[in-house]
Amino acid sequence: MTVLGVLLRKELLEIRRTWRIWVLPAIIMFIAVTSPILAEITPGLVRSLAGSNPDVVIELPDPVALDSYRQLASQLNQIGLLALIIASAGIVGSELRSGTAILVLTKPVSRRDFIVSKVLANLALLVGATIPAVIVCWLLTLAIFGEAPIGTLGAVIALWLVAAGGMLCLMMLLSTLIPAQAGAAGVGIAAYAVLSMLALWGPARSWTPAGVLHGITAVIEETPSGIVGAIVATVVLSVVAVALAIRRFDRSELAARERSS
Amino acid sequence: MSAAIELRGLTKTFGANRALDGIDLDVPTGSIYGFLGPNGAGKSTALNIIAGLSRPTAGSARIFGEDVTTAPDTVRAMIGYLPDVPGFYAWMTGEELLRFCGQLFGLRGRTLDERVAALLDLAGLVGVRTPVGGYSRGMRQRLGLAQALINAPKLLLLDEPTSALDPLGRKMVLDMITGLAGRTTIFFSTHILDDVQRVCDRVAILDHGRVIVEAPIEELLERTGPRDLLVELGSPDEAATIATALAGAAWLSGQTLDGARLTVTTTDPDTAMREIPREIGARGLLLRRMELIEASLEQVFVDLIEQDGR
Repeated sequence: MTVLGVLLRKELLEIRRTWRIWVLPAIIMFIAVTSPILAEITPGLVRSLAGSNPDVVIELPDPVALDSYRQLASQLNQIGLLALIIASAGIVGSELRSGTAILVLTKPVSRRDFIVSKVLANLALLVGATIPAVIVCWLLTLAIFGEAPIGTLGAVIALWLVAAGGMLCLMMLLSTLIPAQAGAAGVGIAAYAVLSMLALWGPARSWTPAGVLHGITAVIEETPSGIVGAIVATVVLSVVAVALAIRRFDRSELAARERSS
Repeated sequence: MSAAIELRGLTKTFGANRALDGIDLDVPTGSIYGFLGPNGAGKSTALNIIAGLSRPTAGSARIFGEDVTTAPDTVRAMIGYLPDVPGFYAWMTGEELLRFCGQLFGLRGRTLDERVAALLDLAGLVGVRTPVGGYSRGMRQRLGLAQALINAPKLLLLDEPTSALDPLGRKMVLDMITGLAGRTTIFFSTHILDDVQRVCDRVAILDHGRVIVEAPIEELLERTGPRDLLVELGSPDEAATIATALAGAAWLSGQTLDGARLTVTTTDPDTAMREIPREIGARGLLLRRMELIEASLEQVFVDLIEQDGR
């Protein structure tokens, strides 16, 4: 097994043995379970609320399977991405603070392998957390609405994985630049807010990651224009972010942490 | 054979602060080398450079002839490093941690199994199944030393390995280090002089980023200024008589009388040890005891640091 393989195995074992196995998968699963249920009960809830006031008349169509996907896309786009940003803000910084980076990097290990193993392990966690959640969402949608178009759900999830993967790579870079987890998370959330605003502006949706963010919900109605360019841009920028993270980490000076007592 | 560590003009600055100021040092292969200095002298900075964690501003550091900045992987394959406060993955057991570290050095199969078992035994951690997060400080330090030995390093770098430990933990770690004598070169940074005197055979003293002295410990102790001789006579009167008789001797730099005990401070212990019994014998007095008081490294250290400060 190569050094990268050893590091990757350690990262995956760490995910399995610590809180990290629960946080992101639990949040994504929660979103997946609640989306079809919310889609089913929301119109009824709104009608019953409006029914208490005879002056208000609200007409809502009966919910359909695509409403379940809309809920899923919307929640993944917001809660899912924010959870990912917060959970991954300390990927590198936590190892620097705890001194474990020094344990590893005084062995014949390249700093590139150190970073790449973290990127690969966290992408695996993202995909591993998403797939079972998607299956649950599809089954619940089918059970509740009697239909569940796989193609549309597949498009939503593919775009979510591109956006989340891109955000993960950005957080890797931020974690090498800002060792404090709260600082990296703050900048990550700011970057997400900027992208969300750009997603509202049509011209920015082509050839920027904002297009992918917009596409997660828009793809349920129709294939968004410029989505291919946005995907390409996100993938390219993700690779650039990881390359910059490696370069930055390679040049940074590490020092053993100081004794606390 | 090249020196285990060869530092030439090693300089490290942090802004206006000159942490290392052109250090030249040769650490002989096979030695247990004490790297002494007060807090802030630059010991950890030098170790960080030698371990490849930090880059020098100027000068060079070579490990067995390999430059730490141009051949970092070659250097890291030859060293074991225990930082001041070792960091571990809290969720791993000690055995898992040693296996992980061994695999990073390319160790596999039976070699890895045997080495992990031997090091767990050396560290007194056989059968400990709790994750490292639950270890005491002493256990963590012993595990830190064990992981630093997993590759059977040619050079073991220890940064203040005992300074956070209780007396028992300290003894266990020092015993581990002593047990390695002759098998590897050990470069041992500390400010605990007793530890250095106990396990090291050579020492360099660092202050304000400069090496102010470098020598074998015995030579350093002998090189120091006046030494004390404790002379015990038959009675206080006899001690006073001898004190009077010795006054004015060229080798005498001071004396203190305490009952029948006379402490003689001398610049020439050999002459003093010949002359004092002769004076006592010539007067028919009783010499109960005469002992050359060993110079302590602590005294040498304090003297040198004070001289450097001046």
